[in-house]
Amino acid sequence: MNLAFSWDWLPRLLQGLGLTVELTALSMAMGAFLGLVLAVLRVYAHGLLYPLYLLASGYVHLFRGTPLLVQVMTFYFALPSVGVRLSPFVAGLSALTLNTAAYQAEYFRGAIQSVRAGQMQAALALGFSRLQAIRYVVLPQALRLVIPPWSNELIYMVKGSAVVYLIGVLELMGQAKNIAARTFRNFEVYLVVAMFYLALIFVLTLALRWVERRTRVPGLGVPGRA
Amino acid sequence: MALRRILVGLVVFGVVSLSGVAAEKFIVASDVAWPPFEWVSAKGEKIGFDLDVMRMIAVLEGYEIEIQDIAFDSIIPAVIAGKVDIGASGFTITAERAQVVDFSSPYWTSDQTVVVRADSGLNVVTALLPGRKVGAQRGTTGAFWVEDNLIAQGVAVELVLYETYPEAVMDLLAGRLDAVIQDQAPSEQAVQQYAGQLTIVGIIKTYEEFGFLVAKGDPKGILPRIERGLKVLKETGAWDNLIAAYFGPSLEAVEAAWEACIDVLRVGKDPVAYAACLAQKVRELSK
Repeated sequence: MNLAFSWDWLPRLLQGLGLTVELTALSMAMGAFLGLVLAVLRVYAHGLLYPLYLLASGYVHLFRGTPLLVQVMTFYFALPSVGVRLSPFVAGLSALTLNTAAYQAEYFRGAIQSVRAGQMQAALALGFSRLQAIRYVVLPQALRLVIPPWSNELIYMVKGSAVVYLIGVLELMGQAKNIAARTFRNFEVYLVVAMFYLALIFVLTLALRWVERRTRVPGLGVPGRA
Repeated sequence: MALRRILVGLVVFGVVSLSGVAAEKFIVASDVAWPPFEWVSAKGEKIGFDLDVMRMIAVLEGYEIEIQDIAFDSIIPAVIAGKVDIGASGFTITAERAQVVDFSSPYWTSDQTVVVRADSGLNVVTALLPGRKVGAQRGTTGAFWVEDNLIAQGVAVELVLYETYPEAVMDLLAGRLDAVIQDQAPSEQAVQQYAGQLTIVGIIKTYEEFGFLVAKGDPKGILPRIERGLKVLKETGAWDNLIAAYFGPSLEAVEAAWEACIDVLRVGKDPVAYAACLAQKVRELSK
């Protein structure tokens, strides 16, 4: 086995790494926004808003119940038959975003529901509207609680974004596949790519731990660690 | 009655699988999405020119094969790693590949073709201008041709690489590509399948030759057996019949003929009669 790394690969792999970061960051950010809305609907949409609850639940069920790979392929290869032609990047980003939104919705829901019911009652008693209570009392607590499971999802998405190479997006995995196809140096190429992913996730893990520490409120929070 | 049939079936199956344990077996890797060389039929059978050649040689040389469907660009790595024994997937013999695997003698010659949408109005020159989106399958000589003869020469087309050939064709049909570069026979197959929607605007004379490939140094001694088998197929006319059956007719006709004839090879163990049967059935069905 010849373990020499060719420096010619580096610019392409770095370009791929950049696209992986871009895909992950954009899909996580948009997914967080959508997921938060879904979670709030899943917890608070009662009475007249019940159809919204059903819609949100159906969405979560649909996107958690089908493989990410199927979603990516559908967005790219199936939508053109109904006249929607997305570029590889947009199709991949859309599928990743809608997929992670469903998972994030469940993490957010869990966090919202772990905020004690008394908090909402106290806020209402103080004259907050329901929406204000959610915005100013429940969510600030829930968002702190959600950081550990949410970082899990972030790490998953860094790696999950690799599936979009199948629709021709040249992120890290796509670049690696193309280099390996030409050089037959699969072992070295994928070893380097694995180290890239590992390094990226290491940095993200440190960053998230920092965020978790910075946002911690004394007296509140994770049982046993408060 | 039904019970008896099942029992007989079990006994036959048992005998067949017992003898299977004793027989030599090689694993053949192919990217089974490249008609007419290899594809999965409507009934889920792996069929095609390459695969039938492999099956026929296996019968002639007295070994068994198992066909594994592997992405084209992963076949050579799998052969190098010893995961599979033979690569049979329309591989052009190239110097780059010959450094890492060993090839049989050539069994097919091919050029590259430029396929565009029929309504695009593109010709072979305008389809490959800088800025055009050109699709090819990852790891194929078509993709290499675009990299080496267009991009490396300063003609900045945007090359999009696909896991399988049909995906590139689908993207061309969807309007996300301007052209697809691929070997001649699969291109003609695609144009036939999407008649009126696709057209071949140019042939790039690359004079490529296809070979079957094995691990470097041929540690299992497979190549001499393939060579012997190829020679027999050519001398007996089975080769010409196979070509007549696979190149030209519609895939549906080939699939139906294959269904009708395959037992001549599987049970009858007669490659020559099988090829004759296939050619004749395809001819009948194509009328």
